[in-house]
Amino acid sequence: MQPLFAVARLTLKAAFRYRLVLVLMALLLGAVIALPMIIKHDGSALGFTQILITYTLSAITTLLGFATLWLACGSLAREVEDFSMQLVCTKPVPRWQIWLGKWVGIMALNLLLLAVSGTAVYFLLLAKANGLSAEQQKVLQDEVLVARKSAREAVPNIEPDVERLYQERIKQQAVAALNDRDFVRKQIREQIKASRQYIRPGQGRRWILSLGPDAATRLKDQTLYVRVHYITTEYAATGVTYEFGWEVGPPEGHTRQRLQNSFAPESFTTFAIEPNHIAPDGTVTVDMFNLNDKPVLLPLEDGLEVLYREGGFALNFARGLGIIFCWLGLLCAIGLFTASKMQFNVAAFVSLAILIVGTSSGTLKQVVEQGGVIGVGTEDGVVTQKSLVNQASVVVYGNLRWLIEQVAGFNPVDSLSTGRSITWGQLATAFVVVVGLAGGVFMVAGIWIFTRRELAAPQ
Amino acid sequence: MATLPTPLSAPSAPHSDEVVIRAVGLTKVFQDFWGRPKARAVDNVDFEVRRGEVFGLLGPNGSGKSTTIKMLLGLLYPTKGQVTVFGASPRDVKTKARIGYLPEESYLYRYLTPGETLDFFGNLFALDSDDRKKRTEQLIEMVGLGNARTRTVGEFSKGMQRRIGLAQALINDPDLIILDEPTAGLDPLGCREIKDLIRTLAKRGKTVILSSHLLADVEDVCDRVVIYYGGKIQAQGTLKELLAAPDEVRITSPVLSRETTEKVLQILRAEVGDTVRLENPTQNLENYFLGVVERARAQSTSGATSGNSVAAFIKGGAEAGASQSDKVLDRLTKPSAAAAAATGPIPAVTAPAPKVDVAKLAALTKADESAPPATVEPAKTTTETPKPADLSKANEKLSGLLGGKKP
Repeated sequence: MQPLFAVARLTLKAAFRYRLVLVLMALLLGAVIALPMIIKHDGSALGFTQILITYTLSAITTLLGFATLWLACGSLAREVEDFSMQLVCTKPVPRWQIWLGKWVGIMALNLLLLAVSGTAVYFLLLAKANGLSAEQQKVLQDEVLVARKSAREAVPNIEPDVERLYQERIKQQAVAALNDRDFVRKQIREQIKASRQYIRPGQGRRWILSLGPDAATRLKDQTLYVRVHYITTEYAATGVTYEFGWEVGPPEGHTRQRLQNSFAPESFTTFAIEPNHIAPDGTVTVDMFNLNDKPVLLPLEDGLEVLYREGGFALNFARGLGIIFCWLGLLCAIGLFTASKMQFNVAAFVSLAILIVGTSSGTLKQVVEQGGVIGVGTEDGVVTQKSLVNQASVVVYGNLRWLIEQVAGFNPVDSLSTGRSITWGQLATAFVVVVGLAGGVFMVAGIWIFTRRELAAPQ
Repeated sequence: MATLPTPLSAPSAPHSDEVVIRAVGLTKVFQDFWGRPKARAVDNVDFEVRRGEVFGLLGPNGSGKSTTIKMLLGLLYPTKGQVTVFGASPRDVKTKARIGYLPEESYLYRYLTPGETLDFFGNLFALDSDDRKKRTEQLIEMVGLGNARTRTVGEFSKGMQRRIGLAQALINDPDLIILDEPTAGLDPLGCREIKDLIRTLAKRGKTVILSSHLLADVEDVCDRVVIYYGGKIQAQGTLKELLAAPDEVRITSPVLSRETTEKVLQILRAEVGDTVRLENPTQNLENYFLGVVERARAQSTSGATSGNSVAAFIKGGAEAGASQSDKVLDRLTKPSAAAAAATGPIPAVTAPAPKVDVAKLAALTKADESAPPATVEPAKTTTETPKPADLSKANEKLSGLLGGKKP
């Protein structure tokens, strides 16, 4: 592995010698310092801090993301173009080590830049927090500068019910044509889902959420937070709020906390619950009452959750940066993959194209849902003819979409700005999925291409 | 009488029968984007190179020399035929560990200093830290870049870049050294040093492949050559085989009196008529230049200096033999010898004493001193490499081999 690390050190050295590190460092620190001066927020310390985290981390991710793509393309493609790679490849170094050496070198640079800019953001947040009143500091410490875990209800499996109702409809011969059957299933599914999300006026719903077996003692005297959002069945104008009543605590207990609040639909709202309402078995019971004269819907997936403190902000922030680092690893692999065969400018263009396709998974979803790419019906948007191309495209697009969804599923910026915990497990999973799986695909393909490439062939 | 740095002669290293490179039916066809044949750069080439040989690749631009070299290095893959290096594929990592390569242009990293460059390439050969440091120091001294350690390769002149390029090619003490236009961009001093180095390497049993446009370079150091034209080998063999002129002989002797000379000429003319020529041999420009430079060596320079002794790890066992060529670099660094080299009459470029009966010649020349100068060619007296003065002949011959084209 000595040659691999030699290539990595050389890549890092090149970035320093060409003053790229200085330029990037200046840009990153400039963004971190300048953004707080120009961002608009709701005026509260909480809102300002959340937006600050979101904007600065997004800016860092974007800047480093593009720099990584550019560097990865340039580092390999330019060395092939100026022939220095020819000399390296005449030495006893397997080409996979050269390729991976480049990746390691660029990632070492990313680690350095991410550490410096992340540290700057962290201390900026602390500095801003220290300038606030004690009360506001407490709010920040409880809701943003903290690592909170979330307790949610498991999403119920409604498929057996869907199938049962569907079979009943068939027996009733309510489904006429074969082509309608999938559509009918979808309708039944939506109906069942809506019935479980629906809360009529004057009625309520109960959530029993587990915070862990020792939660009553572990979270003694700790404030809990309910995070909720709902959808209305009618159009709600801006500024319109709905009113709800809440009871929290063991149902049979006499010390249940009661409260009433109102908030706007289709946006997340968080409110605090007094400590010590957790049952000995570690569950917390939350009852919600619709105090309006109109029904509301609480989505099964993320309608309501209870947030509770799990750890400190510093380590959580570091883990969040770790996930951003994993993303950069994937971008680096994409850049090197394209540069394994193409010239710098073409490689940079193709890398960006891959990135755009990756972020627009809507097309992939559409292809999978319509069942292919050829012979799509103009009215129903469904492919009627079965062909090899359609079957292959569904497989390829389906897998690609799955992979993109896995990768996009890790969003540390949202978690950090809402004070949510990013666990070591999540970080490890992100590494495996984003770097190992998605990045691995590009790595294997890139190394394969680079190993077979005739480096001295006319460009 | 002044002595010059010993003129180069073809290396006489013991060659082994071990085949280092074998090319059989080697063909390379470049294709366009659509896979259609575009150019047949190398066409059905066969040759073998044995251990210890200095093997020259000659040919005009675009004749297929560089393509052949790049196939030997695994940078291009043959379209047809086969090439093996040390009995294995050139792409094999173990094979590459035994090869040193100096490309025709500087393919080095412009932002690295000479030390960093050699350290990087040493790492690619997985040399340990101490070994890398030792070799780096020796090589930097050897190529005369001791005064330019802190400058980056990008600031170097072309000649200095060739020097550091050569150093990187030797960092692994290779068994096979492939030199593509090694003297391009070098001053005469650097050219001479490189040729001396090639001879040293050959004496150690190293195999050297030399590709060059400069026929004098090839002629000075190569045992065997192949001559390319149009992607095909037009001629191959030892220089002796290719360049021998069996219908002429040459006598070289110390200065004779006019009478002796005239008598010798009379005898010769009686034998072969008026085709006899007599002239004072001159030293070649390279030797004269080296002498001048050596006198000026006392002055310091911030750039490349003339190289010093060959790096110890490269000399290896060859040092024990105290070979003549190894001493060349040493002599170049001695001002006294250098100063002497640039002065005084120089009777001949060839080193060995002529096997001519001088006393008899002196007696013969007493009679007449007014005869015109002529060249005397006694049979079987000198067998050294043709002198620089004869380069034009060599060029003509090589041109002939290329089918009348000027190489």
